[in-house]
Amino acid sequence: MDALFGDEQRDLQRTVRDLLTREDPGPAVWQRLCGELGLTGITVGERHGGAGATTVELGIVLAELGRALTPVPFLQTAVAATVLDRSDAPPAAEVLPALVAGGLVAGLATPAPPTRWPTGSGPALTGVLDNVVDGPHLDLLLTPAVVDGAAVLVAVRTDAPGVTRTTLPTLDRSRPQARFALRGAPAVEIGDAASASRATDLLLAAVAVESAGAARFCLDTTLAHLRTREQFGRPLGTFQALQHRCADLAVLVESAWATARHAMWAADADPAGAAVSAPLAKAYCADAFRTVAGEMIQLHGGIGFTWEHPAHRYFKRATSTDLLFGGRAWVRSVVAERAGLPAVR
Amino acid sequence: MDPRFDDADEAFRREVAGWLVRELGGEFAELVDAGGPGREHEHVEARKAWERRLGRDGWIGLGWPEADGGRGLSWQRQVIFHEEYARAGAPGRVGHIGEQLLGPTLLMFGTPGQKAHFLPGILDGTQLWCQGYSEPGAGSDLAAVSTRAELRADGWHVDGQKVWTSLATEADRCFVLARTEPGSTRHRGLSYLLVPMRQPGVDVRPIVQLTGTSEFNEVFFDDARAPAEDVVGAPGEGWKVAMGTLAVERGVSTFGQQMGFAREFERVLAAARAGGAADDPVIADRLLDSWMQLQVLRHTAVMTLGAPAGSTPGTEANVAKLMWAPWHRRLGELAVDVLGAAGTVTAGPEVDELTPAQRLYLFTRADTIYGGSDEVQRTVIAQRMLGLPRGPA
Ligand SMILES: Cc1cc2nc3c(=O)[nH]c(=O)nc-3n(C[C@H](O)[C@H](O)[C@H](O)COP(=O)(O)OP(=O)(O)OC[C@H]3O[C@@H](n4cnc5c(N)ncnc54)[C@H](O)[C@@H]3O)c2cc1C
Repeated sequence: MDALFGDEQRDLQRTVRDLLTREDPGPAVWQRLCGELGLTGITVGERHGGAGATTVELGIVLAELGRALTPVPFLQTAVAATVLDRSDAPPAAEVLPALVAGGLVAGLATPAPPTRWPTGSGPALTGVLDNVVDGPHLDLLLTPAVVDGAAVLVAVRTDAPGVTRTTLPTLDRSRPQARFALRGAPAVEIGDAASASRATDLLLAAVAVESAGAARFCLDTTLAHLRTREQFGRPLGTFQALQHRCADLAVLVESAWATARHAMWAADADPAGAAVSAPLAKAYCADAFRTVAGEMIQLHGGIGFTWEHPAHRYFKRATSTDLLFGGRAWVRSVVAERAGLPAVR
Repeated sequence: MDPRFDDADEAFRREVAGWLVRELGGEFAELVDAGGPGREHEHVEARKAWERRLGRDGWIGLGWPEADGGRGLSWQRQVIFHEEYARAGAPGRVGHIGEQLLGPTLLMFGTPGQKAHFLPGILDGTQLWCQGYSEPGAGSDLAAVSTRAELRADGWHVDGQKVWTSLATEADRCFVLARTEPGSTRHRGLSYLLVPMRQPGVDVRPIVQLTGTSEFNEVFFDDARAPAEDVVGAPGEGWKVAMGTLAVERGVSTFGQQMGFAREFERVLAAARAGGAADDPVIADRLLDSWMQLQVLRHTAVMTLGAPAGSTPGTEANVAKLMWAPWHRRLGELAVDVLGAAGTVTAGPEVDELTPAQRLYLFTRADTIYGGSDEVQRTVIAQRMLGLPRGPA
């Protein structure tokens, strides 16, 4: 219930940050994240081999991964593990130990609006799930679906017959995607309509907190540049026009971090509130991240426009964050609907 | 649900709410939603009586130490009081300058004698204060104050002019930042003086605002007097004292303010629905943005202002101000925009006969100016929070 940032959270943050700055991004990082630190199972109950922490702690880890833009399927796997752990459906006991150990990669598809959900009767599912984040790595795919007329949350093994996976080339090269065509694919039900919607909400909150971490990195890097780069005989950071722009970015970064953390807190502690705060955090943080990443390019000048400089990787991640996971318009319409505001589309 | 409060806090919430419903249901009913920044002229006499009622029933100085006459309540309980106060639509306080600015300053810098002399009048709602900082030549650049004061055998003699002084017509006393060391410049040589307002050497002239009403004033000091002992902190150390006031404000009132914002938003939303503007996708989008930003304001306040003192850079209040002031101004714009052409017709022929939407629209133009303008907030955030270097002077 410790929503505020305390010492334990700071320690966790430091541990993850150290790891991510020390290691080259690659298979070794994934191994350390899962095996050594057990972080894919951070929210998983101890009976399944997890660390038994809350979604608040998961948020700390995700913000650091956003900061480093580490290309590992962590967000998806940790969210899926949380969903399975909280669902307590029979498949949970079966797959959670492997998820915690990093031997299995899982993730959630967000086909929005619901008219795009795969449909099926009994265990056989049909439909197309497009733009599934981390799709190329997934062993286990969770998705909302309509089975025998009822909305449910199901799990599909990606190596099952009836599943065709196509890897998509992506603008944001740190976040791979795949399209899954399901033709009578065997699916296991792991929850009802409410769990499907909670699962999507958790994914949105997770993406929000990752964005908040990434946005902070963009601002930190930009500030470092403005402090050292001199033009007109003085550091760029002394120019008020740039100071004021940075102040506006700082407001975005601080408020995105608070909003995302609140959503991660609500995911475990206040499910009713999470139904609004998760999509709201996703919409706000993705937008903030896009703004900050764009300003990062601008305030670096020419160097910010190069392939070598990290700015473009963040800019592209921000873009994919905003347009994926249901996309900006859908997420905003969900907020409006759940908050009882006039429909925005 | 709220991560900040426990069950005992929620019981306190019911106590506060019950008191407010009772008091605002009777003789004070006309005060619901009256007053507030830029609107301090409304129902002043009744609001003074309200201030005394608050004092009588122990609702002033909730967070002050018990030894100084306060109630020593936790941060959480203070937040709850402010939230319920706003939720009930209780009036803008006339005593807030004393309670929220001068009181904390005295608690921090005052002598035992000063505390014993000045705090009781704030706590029982009988002594009202105004803030004498701004001058014609010293606005954002407060260190440029030129009002002079000299300590003679019979006490302080004050000469000069303050401006934009809210509630000066009502106030019993003014805390004045004055230059007490002849020839000093900028932050040095200033003193923080407590000057009685009702004396021959003080002349208060109301200034009409763009709203047609008048809350702020010019205050002229022409050999005004203050007792020798009524200087807070050492003479010449006034800048430190004035800045200390800003640091004590840990933002408990922010939450009440946000509750008030939520009420205002609901009214704008209701007007948009009633007039059909809510069906316009552009208006619907602006309403959604406004509502979302209000939640963000709240989450940011919950997550940062509750942090223990010293654990954060101390610029949370600047971030909060730079978020809420422009937000509030945009809400004011939305309030008239949802009415369309009807938003341009006033409630009557007098200049101050504004509709509620017009009042919100016009009064919120002040939010981004007083208490440190948006531009000043940006500079503070850039230099103190982000550590960007100062430019050439
Ligand atoms: C409703 C209301 C109530 C008030 N009540 C009180 C009160 O009770 N007591 C009191 O002492 N004062 C009060 N004030 C005064 C208020 O604090 C000042 O108006 C404020 O500090 C700005 O000063 P100024 O008006 O001289 O504007 P200026 O400082 O002249 O500023 C004009 C414009 O220039 C910008 N600017 C100034 N300096 C810079 C800079 N360095 N860089 C970039 N931009 C800059 C400002 O942001 C502003 O947009 C009140 C004001 C209002 C509107």
